Amino acid sequence: MIAIELVKQLRRVAVWVVLASLAAVAGLITLIIATTSAATPERLADAGSVVPNSSGFTMAAIALNAILLFLLPLAVAIFAGESVAGEASWGSLRYTLARPVSRLRVLGAKTAVAAGLSLAAVVVVSVAGLGFGVAVFGWHPLAVLDLQHASPFDSGVTVFPPGAALARLGLATLIVALSLVSTFAFALLCSVLTDRPFTAVAGGVLLTFVSRALNDVPGLHALGPWLPSTDVGTGLWAQVYFQPADVAALRHLALVQVVYGAVLLGAAAVWFRRKDVLS
Amino acid sequence: MIVVEWYKQVRRPRTYAVLAVVALFAVVVTVALAATGPAQVEYVGDLPLLMVPRTSGWSVPLIALSSTMKFFLPLAVSLFAAESVAGDAAWGSLRYALARPVSRARVLWSKATVAALLSVTSVVVLVVAATVSGGLAFGWRTLDLTDGSTSTPGHPHVAAFAPGLLVGHLALSTLYVVAGQASIFAVAFFLSTTTRRPLVAVAGGVGLTIVSRVFNADYLPGVKVVDQYMPNNDIDLWQHLFTRPVDLTGIPHFLVLQAVYVVVFLSLAHVWFTRKDILD
Repeated sequence: MIAIELVKQLRRVAVWVVLASLAAVAGLITLIIATTSAATPERLADAGSVVPNSSGFTMAAIALNAILLFLLPLAVAIFAGESVAGEASWGSLRYTLARPVSRLRVLGAKTAVAAGLSLAAVVVVSVAGLGFGVAVFGWHPLAVLDLQHASPFDSGVTVFPPGAALARLGLATLIVALSLVSTFAFALLCSVLTDRPFTAVAGGVLLTFVSRALNDVPGLHALGPWLPSTDVGTGLWAQVYFQPADVAALRHLALVQVVYGAVLLGAAAVWFRRKDVLS
Repeated sequence: MIVVEWYKQVRRPRTYAVLAVVALFAVVVTVALAATGPAQVEYVGDLPLLMVPRTSGWSVPLIALSSTMKFFLPLAVSLFAAESVAGDAAWGSLRYALARPVSRARVLWSKATVAALLSVTSVVVLVVAATVSGGLAFGWRTLDLTDGSTSTPGHPHVAAFAPGLLVGHLALSTLYVVAGQASIFAVAFFLSTTTRRPLVAVAGGVGLTIVSRVFNADYLPGVKVVDQYMPNNDIDLWQHLFTRPVDLTGIPHFLVLQAVYVVVFLSLAHVWFTRKDILD
């Protein structure tokens, strides 16, 4: 089932357009920085600082930092929102379900493929950032200035040799993907509820926007740690470049995202099992 | 024509729903502030401006403008702009609207005028609702504002604004935020003439703010070259009207930029709409 669904999605132009656009934005950012301000320090999630022309590894982190706020949620919402509603809008959902396979397995396969593509989106940003970065600035050790811990007694600079920098980038990519779980699950739920993929995608993006907007409202600070996407939560990936990393915050992020993911995907499963599929 | 279009839009529940949500947002902010800690210092915007809500209700419109100017207001404006032409197309009534003995250009401009008026109204409703609810909760008193960008721990730069002065500066800020939505309005309106699905045009308007956010030098200093041409990045400069001395740097550039976006995209809308095959 998963293989069938994967082949179906990979044949679609939209999937490749989304992935290529993400890589292109990473390339564009590298191009602009390389030509105009290669020596200007860039911030990582407001907590760290790197100088782009010191190493190609900086561009992977800078690209992630720039794209994860809005474009990655959009890409994830597209993959999740398209999964069921896309099929409904072509009118082929009922034929898909006519196969002698349980609805839950169909939904499971669709979810798995959409999740795989969403993860691929995050990986594409990291890899494209790294590729363009190394091409322009070279394969050098990565020096990260920790803005929170820098003091007169401690320069706050950590240097990662290329191997370690690569491992940390992998970890950062996974944490970014983790912070997008709630967006993915909500878009998937919307995708089950509606027959129009556009509505499902808009729903997923709207969740992150409303969550961020609520987080910015003074007076609602207490809600912050429990909202699905916030500046604090999505900025935690940068912790992999700090020593010590804020492990407690990462654990809280994982908890919140897993709970949102489980509840929303559970709701999607319940709804899809009982839904009258007319399209 | 404008009057006809105006009545068509104000009869729609959606128009009132958008305006009501905007006003409700201001009230919710006030209630949240009053309930959770009006005596705390709030950091407003990227400048930031520091204020204590309890000392004056005038803090609420500043907070409301800051927290809506980058997403909620662009969304409201996109909704009005997107609905104007594509909304008619979606109902299938666009060709009947054009069957009247009036030029297409006049239809288009009356739609643009009404959508623009509604967009302006949404910003004004927000500020008025915030001012009224804030004043009822905390009183319309003199507001002390600390400029977070120039203050140091020992030397806070505090400016006291009397209510009369606040009305003036707030009106100017509202105008500035309205002007700052013009680019988004123009793009969403242009998209509205090209599609029969209003949501696509809404997404285009909101998408433009996303692109603007990605190439924002406040968060990514390396993209300064393109930052100054992004439609929504300098929307927060009105906050400098509340510092002493008032700093107007960047405001003329931003207003000219908005004018350029408006001219380009409304002309595109005009060209597109006057030549389009209308099938809906």
